[in-house]
Amino acid sequence: MHDIHDIEEAERMGRARSRIFFVLAMVFFAGQSAYFASSPATRDSHARIGAWLILVILILLLLATGGFLLKGRRVRDLLNDETVRMNRLAAQATGFWVTIIATLVVYVESIFDPVSFNEAVHIIVTLGVGAALISFAVRERRAHRLG
Amino acid sequence: MADALLNRLREARDAKGWTQAELAARVGVSRKTINTVENRVFTPSATLAIKLAEALDLSVEQLFWIDR
Repeated sequence: MHDIHDIEEAERMGRARSRIFFVLAMVFFAGQSAYFASSPATRDSHARIGAWLILVILILLLLATGGFLLKGRRVRDLLNDETVRMNRLAAQATGFWVTIIATLVVYVESIFDPVSFNEAVHIIVTLGVGAALISFAVRERRAHRLG
Repeated sequence: MADALLNRLREARDAKGWTQAELAARVGVSRKTINTVENRVFTPSATLAIKLAEALDLSVEQLFWIDR
């Protein structure tokens, strides 16, 4: 049996997580919009590509683990209970379908207007990872709102 | 169309005089999970359904049934 304090802490942290993930998704998409709006000459600096790559890895890590890796096991288990795991699976499925559709769109687009390999990967990964993150955040927010 | 799984979780919990958080603590899930099961937003796994029934001293069939 868990302590009521653990339940309340997990509740508070779960709500915070859904808000943080939503904001992170918005920041991620805004950053990538600015990236694609900039001129190709300045776009592909190592710093910008590196920042994008770090953010993508961070988001994938958050989606895979649910975050809060430094919290105690009892609270972490509550933060990744059955509903969270279902929401995460559904979010990963959303990310998968967005990735496939984005790949097909980029493929067709490249027939008319050549897209570099790096650009294609950047677009596809950004959309797939971003969609999974926002899908998870929205599902979690909706579940918390019911309470 | 998929059959809907109905439950009397809220009534059974109220009969025990427990809050959602208290039931969550006994079963080892978050309060949100109890709430989404009560509101039929989330269909629990067989494992969770058994744990809920055990915590409330009911059989799974008394707690959950299919709306046909």
